[in-house]
Amino acid sequence: MQRVDHSFKAMGGPARFRMEVDDVGLADVAVTAAVAEVERLERKYSRYLDDSLTSRINRAAGTDEVIPVDAETAGLLHYATTVWRESGGLFDLTSGVLRRAWDFRSGRLPGQSEIDAILPLVGWDKVRWDEQGVSLPLKDMELDFGGCVKEYAADSAAAQLQRHGVQCALVDLAGDMAAAGAPLHGPGWPIGIRHPRARDSAAATVILPKGGLASSGDYERCMEIDGVRYGHILNPTTGWPVGGLVAVSVLADQCLVAGSAATVGMLKPASQGLEWLEGLGLPWLAIDMDLQCHGNLLEAGSH
Amino acid sequence: MAAQKNDRNPALMALTSSALLLPAYQSVQADAPPEFAEAGMQYSKYKEDDITGKKAFGGGSERFDIDVAQFHLLAPVLDDWSVAVDVAWEDMSGASPWFVGESASGDPKVIMSGASIEDTRTEVSVTTRYYFDRGNGGLSLTYSDEDDYESKAVAFDGAFNSADGMTTYSGAISYSDDHIDPTQGAVPTNTTSASKDIYSAWAGVTRIVSKRAIVRFGLSYTYRDGFLTDPYKFRDSRPDERKEWVASGGYRRYFEEQNSALHVDYRYFNDDWDVQSHTLDVAWVWDYSPAVTYTPFIRYYTQHEAEFFNNLAQRDQRYFADDYRLSAFGAFSYGLRASRKIQNWEVSVDAERYQTDESWGVFSGEESPGLVDFWRYGIGLNYIFK
Repeated sequence: MQRVDHSFKAMGGPARFRMEVDDVGLADVAVTAAVAEVERLERKYSRYLDDSLTSRINRAAGTDEVIPVDAETAGLLHYATTVWRESGGLFDLTSGVLRRAWDFRSGRLPGQSEIDAILPLVGWDKVRWDEQGVSLPLKDMELDFGGCVKEYAADSAAAQLQRHGVQCALVDLAGDMAAAGAPLHGPGWPIGIRHPRARDSAAATVILPKGGLASSGDYERCMEIDGVRYGHILNPTTGWPVGGLVAVSVLADQCLVAGSAATVGMLKPASQGLEWLEGLGLPWLAIDMDLQCHGNLLEAGSH
Repeated sequence: MAAQKNDRNPALMALTSSALLLPAYQSVQADAPPEFAEAGMQYSKYKEDDITGKKAFGGGSERFDIDVAQFHLLAPVLDDWSVAVDVAWEDMSGASPWFVGESASGDPKVIMSGASIEDTRTEVSVTTRYYFDRGNGGLSLTYSDEDDYESKAVAFDGAFNSADGMTTYSGAISYSDDHIDPTQGAVPTNTTSASKDIYSAWAGVTRIVSKRAIVRFGLSYTYRDGFLTDPYKFRDSRPDERKEWVASGGYRRYFEEQNSALHVDYRYFNDDWDVQSHTLDVAWVWDYSPAVTYTPFIRYYTQHEAEFFNNLAQRDQRYFADDYRLSAFGAFSYGLRASRKIQNWEVSVDAERYQTDESWGVFSGEESPGLVDFWRYGIGLNYIFK
């Protein structure tokens, strides 16, 4: 058994595969296939790439043109609908358009009128889709698969590695993790979860034997005005930062489900976010505004 | 730490079941030719227990020994096809029940065939398979030849997956043209040359019911037409037709914490000779490590006798037979398979014990003195060209 690491850039962040393999030649083939899979999903769903499916859907907004979708995209739309429903409308792939009002680098709060002008463009229930195609009814509406594609890509890359004969692998797409089999020695892959306010120290170390781990936090983009923190997680119905938990990490059988569970935990007011996470029954860790840690990941002997 | 499970939370269930419809989680269902060629060899020894003097005239006797060597090669060809070649050699020797007579005490006893029967069989089978997005279809040709028997068979099978990848429908049809020219010598035979045709159809459905469980159900029908009497049995005359139905079901469940899967399979057989049987198979597939798997298994079988079966064959009837294989009995078999992967190799060994008794069956009938117990051992070697 040899350890093989492969680092690359994908989906706007650092990506890394950690593997244990018998045969390095085999690992090369597997890595090539898994990197290609991540790049395929990026090309297909990135809103930054003009010829992506997402850009085509967004360009057609308000024109009544139905953009045809394949089974995978229909699957993601179906999944997004499920999370939207289960989160009471908080998880919404059309909420990205609110970024036009919120510029977290400016240090300036948007006016309520700016937000009110954008809010009618937000709402998953406005999106028309079925197994064949999707269309956005209003000009300037935007669909952004960013809320689930990176997690899905981590799972899919892990599946590719496994399909090509790698039995022990950890895929890390900028913090979204998917494990395909635990390393030979030890119960799983040790992963440090970053402390929300201290960039380089870990709030906890968890062991991931298989499945996925995803984290969501408002420490990446936020601004402080008059002593109030405004995080980048926006409530799609009010257009304002949620002001709930500041960091959530969840373990699940799929990174995709872990990611949605964590995001929905962040989107709810803090106490409801904790209830949601507790209710799911998955291993989780949350940090609130007062930097108090919650969740069974800590009780389970992590440090 | 192991992920804790709370499958009853409705929100988590909704998220998970919706996620699992996405293609990345359906690698198992994707139909594609095998990525690498593989070759395998298997040697098995089948040894029947001796028959005792209590059950046979003329004292105890050895019964059958069969040595089987199998060779298997599977290779992907072109983009969407695979070809498999299977070759098997069997070498049989020993004695088998010739007929059943009544002893002085009134008990039925077997008269064995006496002189040792020797036979070898060679079977070659070629299967080509085409894979498409939602399934695959295969065509196989099989030729089997032994000293006294020749069989040519053709079979077509197909599998089709539902759009969500959760359900697979499969079906197969086959035809076999068999010919027997009994070897003259060891015992007098009741024909010199005869043939039969076998037609068979099968349909099944397999469904993934949760991320850890699969169920399957199948129905099959077989029609045999021709010489169905055993040419080497002294008192044997069977109908020229046999219509058989089989209904089967199976359940597989994976237990994460034990790294194991439970396999439970049931089969019901019924034919127009009044034979019925129930088979229940239970196996526990334990992945001891990524490279080592142990599979203990147990099987129960019970059979209702054919309407024309009697220990002392009723030769005034149109049809009669004293063959223990048509009698009422119950049987248990149990054993262990173990396999180990070493890089591109996989080695497996298995052992199985089969024991039978009339009183273990759920159907009552005359106990045949010919019932047989046996041992079977096997060793196999598989290699993947990657």
